[in-house]
Amino acid sequence: MTCRAWSGEIVVFNQETGSTHLLDAFAGTVLRRLMAAECGASVEELATALAHGQDAVEQQESQQAVTAVLAEFARLGVAHADAS
Amino acid sequence: MIVADLSRPELERRLAGPGLRLRTGPVVAQIRSPLGAVADGVALHYAAHPIEGNDGFADFFVRVDRPRNLRRWLHPQAMFHIDGEAPFTPLPLDQAFPLLEWGLNWCISAHCHQYLIFHAAVVERSGRALILPAPPGSGKSTLCAGLIHRGWRLLSDELALIDPATSRAIPLARPVSLKNRSIDVIRAFAPAAVLSRPVRDTTKGTVAHMQAPPDSVRRAAEFASPAWIVMPRYEAGATAALTPLPKARAFMEMVNSGFNYSVHGRNGFEALARVVDRCECHTFAYGDLEEAAALFDALATTS
Repeated sequence: MTCRAWSGEIVVFNQETGSTHLLDAFAGTVLRRLMAAECGASVEELATALAHGQDAVEQQESQQAVTAVLAEFARLGVAHADAS
Repeated sequence: MIVADLSRPELERRLAGPGLRLRTGPVVAQIRSPLGAVADGVALHYAAHPIEGNDGFADFFVRVDRPRNLRRWLHPQAMFHIDGEAPFTPLPLDQAFPLLEWGLNWCISAHCHQYLIFHAAVVERSGRALILPAPPGSGKSTLCAGLIHRGWRLLSDELALIDPATSRAIPLARPVSLKNRSIDVIRAFAPAAVLSRPVRDTTKGTVAHMQAPPDSVRRAAEFASPAWIVMPRYEAGATAALTPLPKARAFMEMVNSGFNYSVHGRNGFEALARVVDRCECHTFAYGDLEEAAALFDALATTS
């Protein structure tokens, strides 16, 4: 995976599929955290890291947003869920 | 030697016989055709282009002639061949020269993978290239034709060639394809422009080609550094205005305009990223060509 960022937005080249994708700032942040984590990251870990605040509502919103981004990543072949 | 050095009989003899090896920028095409319309088009539009000896290298061997069928007599047609194959359906005979131009575009975009190739016009000023990617009907060629009559050098009307190693734009000065109303727009805007006779009822409507300025042809070895990516859009009555385009979005617009981006894989991604890095990126709406030319003049002198 190769990516370039400009003003928050990111373009990603997936060498496995040969496809190029445009990601918004939030999706780009999720991707960079995934790429930085050698053994991947759970939805909860990503949501906690990216939540705007610490309360339960903000945590839940962050988790929903991360889940949606990961589903899109899976559809695009950018990242896959690990069954373990 | 350039095409204009050949007498008309000698040009016709070469086209009908051994072929004319025509250099356009980095590409050499051997062209053969017995058709008067092709000889007319080559004589008019490629007068300043170099010709190579027939013992040298040619990238493409193309031929435009009449297919051998009954329509030969009823509704004469022209057919484009490359290396003995005919990749396109025949077109009416009066479209023979546009067919050659479209065929050459196809040859380059489908085969010259040493370059990143985008569907875009490119013009240059002071060594800096303005890349104009846009879908058909956006006013790209009209704007390109206008700018090259207001101080910009033509690198290409249709195919932006980018060297992936250096990120520089490679000149490919060939005729500018004008369609429908843009033909009269350019006639009024640049009375000195040399245009072919319009050909009607093509798949693109009425088409006329505008000769590439001889100075642009002569400077084919002067590469340019991309400085602007601007997506033009003609809108009747619109005031000429540039709107900043985020670089990531400009990148994707270039990807979508690419003929062979996917062929280059990761190297293509990184080469295009270097181009986008160094460019100001905008969308551009215009309704008047004089206004547009003045705006780009200001852009070139202030940024």
